[in-house]
This record gives sequence, C-alpha cells and structure tokens, in this order.
Amino acid sequence: MKNENKFFGISIYIIVGIFLFISIVYPILSVFINVGWSGLNELINEELFKQSLFNSTIVSFITTVISVLIAYLLAFAVNRTKIKYKKVLSIIFVLPMLIPSISHGLGLINLFGNNGLFTKWLGIDFNILGINGIIIGSILYSFPIAFLILTDAFKYIDNSMYENALVLGLNRWQTFRKITFYYMKKPLLSAVFAVFTLVFTDYGVPLAVGGRYSTLAVFLYREVIGLLDFSKGALIGIFLLIPAFVSFIFDLFSKEVVVNTFYNKKYTIRDNKIRDILFSIFSWIIVIFLVVLFGSFIYLSFVNNFPYDNTFSLIHFEYVFENGILKYIINSIFISAFCAIIGTIFAYFTAYTTSRLKFKISILFHALSMFSLAIPGIFLGLSYIFAFKDSFIYQTFLILIMVNVVHFFASPYLMAYNALGKLNNNFEIVGLTFGINRFRIIKDVIIPNSIDTLLEMISYFFVNSMITISAVSFLFNTKIMPVSLLINQYEGQLMYEEAAIVSLFILIINLLFKGLIGILKNKVNRRKIYAVEERIF
Amino acid sequence: MKDWLEVKNISKTFDGIKALDNINFTVTKGEFLSILGPSGCGKTTLLRILIGIEIPDCGNILINNKDITNFPPNKRNMGIVFQNYALFPNMTVLENVKYVLKINKNSNSAAEKKAKTIIDKVGLTEHLNKKPHELSGGQQQRVAIARTLALNPEVILFDEPMSALDADNRLTLRKEFKKIQKEFKITMIYITHDQEEAFSLSDRVMVMNKGKIEQIDIPNEIFNHPKNTYVKNFVTKHLIDKVSSIEKCTGIDL
Repeated sequence: MKNENKFFGISIYIIVGIFLFISIVYPILSVFINVGWSGLNELINEELFKQSLFNSTIVSFITTVISVLIAYLLAFAVNRTKIKYKKVLSIIFVLPMLIPSISHGLGLINLFGNNGLFTKWLGIDFNILGINGIIIGSILYSFPIAFLILTDAFKYIDNSMYENALVLGLNRWQTFRKITFYYMKKPLLSAVFAVFTLVFTDYGVPLAVGGRYSTLAVFLYREVIGLLDFSKGALIGIFLLIPAFVSFIFDLFSKEVVVNTFYNKKYTIRDNKIRDILFSIFSWIIVIFLVVLFGSFIYLSFVNNFPYDNTFSLIHFEYVFENGILKYIINSIFISAFCAIIGTIFAYFTAYTTSRLKFKISILFHALSMFSLAIPGIFLGLSYIFAFKDSFIYQTFLILIMVNVVHFFASPYLMAYNALGKLNNNFEIVGLTFGINRFRIIKDVIIPNSIDTLLEMISYFFVNSMITISAVSFLFNTKIMPVSLLINQYEGQLMYEEAAIVSLFILIINLLFKGLIGILKNKVNRRKIYAVEERIF
Repeated sequence: MKDWLEVKNISKTFDGIKALDNINFTVTKGEFLSILGPSGCGKTTLLRILIGIEIPDCGNILINNKDITNFPPNKRNMGIVFQNYALFPNMTVLENVKYVLKINKNSNSAAEKKAKTIIDKVGLTEHLNKKPHELSGGQQQRVAIARTLALNPEVILFDEPMSALDADNRLTLRKEFKKIQKEFKITMIYITHDQEEAFSLSDRVMVMNKGKIEQIDIPNEIFNHPKNTYVKNFVTKHLIDKVSSIEKCTGIDL
C-alpha cells in the first residue's frame, strides 16, 4: 500500500511535470531560441517601435493610477460604508470582466465616436480616438480586477485591530496608516502590478479606439497578423514580457502580511451620513456609466442604421447569423468547456503536488505555475506558433484549449493551492494506516471538501476562455475560430453594430454560466446547512 | 511480562542531523507507554517510524518476534490518532467509522453494525449523524479513536492527542483512554510533552532528548530516581511551575 501510494504520488508528479514542460517551458524556450536576435538592433532604432513603447508606458501608467484609485474607492464603498444595494453593486462592478477588452473600446466608439450616441444626441464633441479612448477603455476593463483584489483584502483585516486602535486612542489618520494601509500594502501593489501588466499587454482596446496612437501590443499584433513577421513579433513580445516579469519577481520575494488570528471579527461600520452619500453617488456614477455602455450594445444591435435610420430592426442579427455566428459560438463554448474541464483538473492536481506532496521539485512546479501569470497572452500565443507550427495540433481545437489552459492557469491554481493547503495535512497518512490509498483519499475526502473551489476554478477558466482574444489570435483558422475573434473581424470592417451583437452574446453566455455556477454552489452549501438543521430538529 | 514489541538500534538522519540515535526499547502487550520530551527530541520521528510512514536508516522493529520494519502502515496492525484528529470533514461520525470498515472489505450492513457498536463504546451514540465540525474537540478526538479501533489494532499510537484541548476535556479524555485500553487490551504508545499527562496515564514513561532515550521506567522510579540532571529538570519542571504559580496567587512561600 505504501508503494502503491508512492507510485500514485510519483505518477501525479510525472504527469504534471510533462504538462508544465510541454505547455509552458517548451514554448517559451522555443521563442528565445528561434527568435531573430539580429533584428533587435534594427527594432530598437525603429521610430514606430520607440513611439509605441513610450505610448504603452504612458497609457499603462495613467490607467493604473486611475483604475486602482477607482477600484479602491469602490471596494471601500462596498466594505466600509453603509450604502444600499451592495450586492447588486458588487455584481455590476465586475460585469466588464465578462466581455472582451476590445468590446470596451468599441463601446466607447458607440458612445463618443463620430457617429456615437452621445455625440449625436447630446452634441458632446469629445475626441475618443487616441490616448483618451485607450485610457478610458483600459480603465473600464481593468478596474474590476483591482476591485476584486482589494475587496478580498478588506475582508481579511481583523476588526479587533480597529477595536485595539480605538482603545489605544489612535486618531483616524494613524489608524489608517498603521492598520488599513499596513494590511492593504501588498494587495494594493498586487492590484497595481496586475492592472499595469494587463493594460501594457492588451491590444484589444487600442486596436478599437487607438486610431493612429500605436501601442506596443498593437504594434506586435499588426506585425504578426498583417505582415506575418513572427520573428519581429517575438522580439516585440519580449519587451511586453518585462513588466509582467518584474511583477512576478516582486511577487516571489515580497512577504505576505499574514493576518495571524484564529477568528476574524466582522468590521463594524460607524455611522456617517455624509460618507455614505458621497460613496453612493460615486458608486452610482460608475454603475450608470457601465449601464449606458452595455445599453449602447443593446441599442445598436436593434436599430436599422445608426445614426441615419434609428428604427427598430433585426437586420444586424440576420447578418451575423448568416455569417455563421452560431458556429463560432459553439466553437467558443466547446473550447471554453474543455478548457474549464482540463484546466481545472491540471490546476487542481498541480496544486495537489505543491501543497500536499511537497517533494523538493514542488517548489519548481509552484514557481512555474505562478510564472504563467506573468506571460502576456499575446506573447504566449506567439510562443505556441514557434513551438507547434509544424506539429499536428497547430490550428486545431486542441492547441486553442491548451493555450487557454496555460494562459488562465495561475489564478485557479492559486485558488486550489490555498484551499488544499488548508485541509488537514494528516488525511493521507491516516488513510495509509487504514489501507486507503491516496487516490481514494483524494476522491472521497479531498475533492468533496473543495467543491466550492473547484466550481470557482471552472467558472474562471470558462469565462476567460469565452472573452479572450489574445493568446488564441494567432492560432486559429476559420473552422475553429472562437466567437470573440469575430469582434476583431467586424471591427476591422467598421461594422460596429455586428460587433456589439457579438459582445452581447458573449456577455449573455457568461452571465448564464456564472448563474449556473452560482446555483450549483448554493446547492452544495445548502446541502451542508440542511444537513445541520435536520439534526437540530 | 514478556517483551512483545521490540525496537532495536533504530537510527534516522535528516539532512545530516541525527533525529534518532540508536534507539532501543521494548513494550509488553497491553502496556501504556508514554514518550515524553520537548519538541525536536525525535519523538515524532520515532512515531512515524513505528507506524511505517518513515523508514529508519538502520535498526529493526519486531512484534511478536516478527520483523515489521519494512511493512506498509496498514499491514502493521497499528492505528494512529493525531493532535488535529484528521477526521474526514465531509462525513458524519458514523460515516467516518463506516468508511474505514467498508474499505477494509466489510459489507455495508456489517460495517454499519460494527461502527455503531464502537461509537457506542466511546459514548457518542447521540452524535452519530453529526459532522465533525459540530462536535467539541474532545468529542472529535473520541471519534478519531473510534475510527482507529474499528480495525482492531494491536497498538494505537497517539501523537500529542490532547494538545488542542482545554483542561476539562483533557481530564475526561484521560479517563476514556485508560478505559479503552483496559477494555480492548490494546498496547498504547503515547507521545506528549506534557509531564502530568505522561505520569498520570502511563505504565511506563520514556524520557527522550536530542534523539536519545534518557530514561525509561515506571513513573515512580523516574520521579524519585531520575537518572541524570536532564531528566530531573524535565520531569520536575511542571511541579516547580505549579508551585511558583500557587505562590504567586496566594502569596504564600512554599
């Protein structure tokens, strides 16, 4: 039995090891080996490259500051004030995460473009093309991520700290500095790095609203898609890797502020009418903006020919259906479903090896899994061309599923790593003494005790695979194209109404899927509660 | 009484540090032996070797003259009870015990019957259908013992089973342990750093320090004739602590 267990343990290691090598190490290595380093000199002297690098840095910097600030205020509003409808607000704040980044750019054009709703109806003449548009669009899709990170952090600050502060007679500023800021430092930095790398490597928003304002990611995209210059693309990609790599190194070495208490007392929010009113107003401004943005998708989908003929019409729907949107939706659901299943299984077992097996190689697996977070999707996609261009998986569903699994691997991995690490570390040993092998323990004890986490992981993989346009953008052909890339296509043809319809479909599918996961989670939790109640009566 | 479990010349080294240095001792059948020592003295390593999760660098373990050194954990007829219980949280009290029985080739009905009998023996019948998190620490530990008893082990190893419990629970559980030991006639090896626990429960106490056995004897002997200053200091420490705390509270110089 001991040998059997060791055998199981080692097999998990080998399978996880092979997976990590083929899907992460090998593609990245192939880029660095095959890239034309000789072109580097020419590239860094190219005017457009220098300009793009500069633009990307500026845009990412400004966006990060505003985005994290907005996210902090919203997280504060939801966690530290007595505003109403917090649950609804929290849901609306993360809606932008359910559509592709490019949709946000297009949404802005719908509102502020030459033929935009605001431009035509309200006479607002606001030049959305260029740096303004990129920044607003980037804020729109990046602030929810920072919001989630910070909300989570707010929840973990133990309130007894604040009670202590009160007893010690600390004033508000001191309390903020010594407690709130102390605990929020790491999450804030995480949020800053997450938003910066996301914006720096995204090509969706600048492609839609950038106009002539070139950023590094768009530059790369155009070189690869337009000119098929993979080698140059890879060189640019290496520059895209820099901020992600810096944040990865930083993350690796920065220590978490551990909240070292057994119980977590809920924060008691003090009464403060003015504060509540101010934060209500701020929250609702954001909500209204988001509703208007999503509303513009709906409006544009159902009019004949905006702005010239605003009568109700299904002509655009007819067009996208003729164009075969259904096929692409099915492609996307297929890819996302398999990515969710395969990704969850691999992330779960990788986390199992690093959190519960703890051989020496575990550290390497952990580092590799976290490193996947630092690889921009667009670079990852490119690396898969280098690695698999001549293999049978190139331009198949398999490669699309695989690249998505790797692209979105780190977050679900971390969820599983944390959840599994918290489970009693003696389950396997106790099992051994009873003759229960490792796999039975995983099946009968470990998995039933982490269903919530598994559902979260599935949801994360699915939703992100539905919206991604980065890693997949070089690896598809028309047969296996995911629906999100249809937006790129319509954007290129300036067919904004059609692009709006596609965005809507993606939003609806993701909302339905999230709803389904929510129901399942409720069911699991209700069963637990029900089981308790049953015994009381 | 005849030596039944024999530990011979066991040594174990981790990264160049000697965790166990030539350990030799014997236990008779049905005996209650406590292994007492500070953290890092090697007692947990010894326990892991006894149960079979760790293989010693050298030395042998014999039960009834049979060498079990390289036997897998489930073939040693031993059970283990951990400080953190390691109950399966998704299963009820009954299911925890039944599950172990079913894995070991009992039919569903036989497993249920047997499980209920054992749970009754540890006094938890009224909690049959509760999940571990609905029980107190002491109750959870009793479930863990019931689960271990299910497979009729000849030896039960305890890894600081009471460290997570409060004083009241400890006292009740101590009695429970003794009762179970007598009733099932099981050999018990009990690891602890708590002198009081060791002395009140055990037939014999083994004091360990830095991977070596300092003394092994009946409680009275160790108490009255400690072999060296280390043992003397270690076993009397809690008494001194107690005296000084009484002095502090009462202001009386004892």
